[in-house]
Amino acid sequence: MAVGSRAFEAAGLGPTGRLARVHEWWEQEHVFGYGLILPALLLLACLVAYPFGMAIYFSLSDYWVGSPGAFVGLANYREILGNEVFRQTVQNSFVFTAIALTFKTVLGVWLALLLARNLRFKRLLRGAVLLPWVIPTALSTLGWWWMFDSLYSVVNWTALRLGLMSPPGPNWLGQAGYAMAAVIAVNVWRGLPFFAITVLAGLVSIPREYYEAAEVDGAGSWGRFRHVTLPLLKPVLAVVILFSTIFTFSDFNIVYVLTRGGPVNSTHLFATLAYQVGLNGGNLGQGAAISLFLFPMLAAVVFMQLRYIRKE
Amino acid sequence: MASAASRGARWRSAAFGYANLVPFIFFALFPFYFMLVTSLKSNAELYNLKAVPFWIQTGLITDHYRYLFERTDFLTWMRNSLIISVVATGISLVLAILAGYSLARLRFRGVGAFGTAVFITYLVPPTLLFLPLSQVVVWLGISDTIWALIVTYPTFLVPFSTWLLMGYFRTVPREIEECALVDGASRMQTLLRIVLPMAVPGIVCAALFGFTLTWNEFIYALTFVSQTTAKTAVVGVTSDLIRGDIYYWGSLMAGAVLASVPVVICYVFFLDYYVSGLTAGAVKG
Amino acid sequence: MRARSRREFLRVASGATAGMASWLALGRAPAFAQKRELTFLSWNHFVPKSDDELRKQAEAFGKQAGVTVRVDTIAHLQLDAKFAAEAQSQSGHDMIRTHGAVPFVYENALADVGDLVDKLGKQYGGWYPFAAEIGQTGSGWRAVPWFWISFPATYNQAHFKKAGLETPRTWAELLKHGKILKKQGNPVGIPISHCSDTHSTYWSVAWSYGAKVLEADGKTPAINSDKTAEVVEWYKELFKEAMEPEVLSWDDASNNRFILSGKGSWIHNPISPYNAALANKQPIADDINHHNSPAGPAGTHSGPPILGLAIWKFSKNVELAKEFIQFLYRKENFDAWIVASNAFNHPPLRHFADHPIWARNPKFAMLPKEAEFAHARGWPGKPNDAVGRVESNYVLADMVAKAVGGMPTKRAMEWAQDQVARAVKGQLKA
Repeated sequence: MAVGSRAFEAAGLGPTGRLARVHEWWEQEHVFGYGLILPALLLLACLVAYPFGMAIYFSLSDYWVGSPGAFVGLANYREILGNEVFRQTVQNSFVFTAIALTFKTVLGVWLALLLARNLRFKRLLRGAVLLPWVIPTALSTLGWWWMFDSLYSVVNWTALRLGLMSPPGPNWLGQAGYAMAAVIAVNVWRGLPFFAITVLAGLVSIPREYYEAAEVDGAGSWGRFRHVTLPLLKPVLAVVILFSTIFTFSDFNIVYVLTRGGPVNSTHLFATLAYQVGLNGGNLGQGAAISLFLFPMLAAVVFMQLRYIRKE
Repeated sequence: MASAASRGARWRSAAFGYANLVPFIFFALFPFYFMLVTSLKSNAELYNLKAVPFWIQTGLITDHYRYLFERTDFLTWMRNSLIISVVATGISLVLAILAGYSLARLRFRGVGAFGTAVFITYLVPPTLLFLPLSQVVVWLGISDTIWALIVTYPTFLVPFSTWLLMGYFRTVPREIEECALVDGASRMQTLLRIVLPMAVPGIVCAALFGFTLTWNEFIYALTFVSQTTAKTAVVGVTSDLIRGDIYYWGSLMAGAVLASVPVVICYVFFLDYYVSGLTAGAVKG
Repeated sequence: MRARSRREFLRVASGATAGMASWLALGRAPAFAQKRELTFLSWNHFVPKSDDELRKQAEAFGKQAGVTVRVDTIAHLQLDAKFAAEAQSQSGHDMIRTHGAVPFVYENALADVGDLVDKLGKQYGGWYPFAAEIGQTGSGWRAVPWFWISFPATYNQAHFKKAGLETPRTWAELLKHGKILKKQGNPVGIPISHCSDTHSTYWSVAWSYGAKVLEADGKTPAINSDKTAEVVEWYKELFKEAMEPEVLSWDDASNNRFILSGKGSWIHNPISPYNAALANKQPIADDINHHNSPAGPAGTHSGPPILGLAIWKFSKNVELAKEFIQFLYRKENFDAWIVASNAFNHPPLRHFADHPIWARNPKFAMLPKEAEFAHARGWPGKPNDAVGRVESNYVLADMVAKAVGGMPTKRAMEWAQDQVARAVKGQLKA
């Protein structure tokens, strides 16, 4: 740790001459600060801000794939708002996100509590739980699709053999309610590990003494959870929920592979509808409007959540 | 007497723990197991309605894997994925370390706004972003090469990694840094030699996260690259093995299983870092 | 010391940059060093051997023209994203394989191929009008019709025999037979879901009942009609009494699995399941046979998928691509390609249509007849991008699915009428 100034001088960075002035300038806190974020900012400006700006422009014009259009103001937004399919998509997205997120939060905390115990094969268990998060979604969803197949569904096969359902069993991807359940199940399957492991990380960092103190006060395991674990987990939970909200809202792959928005648009999310309208249908302006529709709101929510997290 | 009771209680508690974990483990692993079984089944059994889906009755076959290796460029795709993931993650980490340190530790005007701005970029939906981005890729003259992906992947890695590392850098005691600065170390040296070594778990965590995201990325990989020899594993498997109204389920699942292996290996090695990295990053985020 | 280290740094830095640059260049060097390259983005053909033949011909053309021809094939559902990115960035492949309304959606981005269409048409006895229409936009030809995929009935002979039934000649008869077959445990299957087979069948049935989606002008919504009501009622009854609810979740591959599993008795689909069964040596191939698409009160009509070849305007190889297309249409090449697809690819040119392959296998004998009652999507109007949008937004599938799910037919049709009007409203200005 004892890296003396002499060592640095020896490295040839002693303060003399013009170089010294540059050095001094560079050593100012704000200059150094700006300097360090500059590369990241440049990258984001060129590769996110520019395309994002373009996407906003798309949404305000009658832009078609392959043929630029003219500025039309908010016409695209008006048009999509007037369309029943879009309104249903908004509803789907909220239902999907709310239910999936609830499951992920509750099950995630529960799973984290289980994993935090001192168990044998701890690493193995944690690794196993993490697997769904790790496998490429584009591929694992195909596996799920095969599992929900109308003819070869392993879910129905099992349930029928166990006598849990009457034949032919639910038509997973063909009935509105079941299709939504299936899509949510896959989303939970994929997102749960991220939740559990992150919360686990939060749990590990809670000092043991807190629990011991609570135990002395006569708190049962529920009391310990409510009065020690949960309050201390709040910041972690806030971050995970924040990230998970973003992931879940913008989900594309699961719906695209499993139902392509069907049956009768009952599982369409913003991303899949935008893809359908903008790319398959060629109406880039409307597609962009659909995918950007929630951005201001989401940004506001995130902004507030970030402030809350910072304060904590 | 007391010890027997407490041993009993401990045993009960352990049993409780395992018993409750079973459904989770099953839920997590079953699809993977199912994919594995499918990849080793003969087509005849796969499409037999009377067959038992859970295991293989008519003998395990490796044809689907052989198809993958002999009839497709699977190994090339894996190599591409590996190169792209490692390089893109590396670039992103460098950028994120610099930005994260600056945003977490240095005081200058607009630091909060920058922090939020970096994060907000994470919200931009990629569904249509890839269209204008494909234009940028062409301007840079790197379309249809793996560089198109190496350059664009940091766009979604940098915000997250920066965010995670910011939290981590905040946990490094300020005094240590100040000591180094008083000793005459430059700011960059302080960052590289003092702060960075203490942030290794956070960096590993960000790296792991980045590696996973890049390895799994789909839409950019699909649209920016067309020649088979430059495809990534995920795109290669889905675009070459899905043939309209006939699915090659066996080899598709074989590809899915194999393409997951590198990421799984990474996690096996670095899981503990991941957990401890997230701890600091997320808690202090 | 300081100076030296700075020099050192510069040396290392410039060395690294140069190294990086040369590495970068290395990855791209072949493009400069090689001869001219023609690139073609196509789909993964449903019959893989067809792509093998295509690549073989591409290589032969390359040798002859002194260029390299690269054929990239990807899953058909991924094509739209690729097309959009290529049109947007004005770079990518030289040629693409079009489907549905792609030539219309990309009207401004595709090169004119009118000369080629004329020439090939004259050379080979003329185009089938239904096939030709898919490339003819308001401002000229944007695609050369490549092939169409007949949409006959595929059925399981054994199941029909067991029930003592003949093959259905009309959709009404299919309904009648279907009820019996379902009781026997072998339902029929027509998808009512977000997949492209749903469109193909809907158009066929609707036209057979005299129903339309748009008027002949191609822009007046006409789906809300008594004729459509008949079609929807037919679907409702078929769904309830001759099919399983699973058809609501089907994708393009599901009906193939349905018939290949031995459960299904009848599907409306190209011949790919039969070909797949042959290729995989599945015994069910013997039981599978085909018959012509059924008729309705307004005659027999069919809406097969029709695919085309198009060249991007931004391509630097437009002329070369045209030469390549001509090469593919040489009699011997086109014939070989039909053979490779085992009768899956149907020629849009009349002279290619009498091909021995149709006669060789009795199960294919009826296929050429399908050309007599085929139309491009949107008929009686001409195809256009609005028709494409009606399909890509799954309006037809959803209308039927809503009615099947309990919504009154009238309301389902009104909903569809509104959606069709929206699709027209957003029409592209060429």
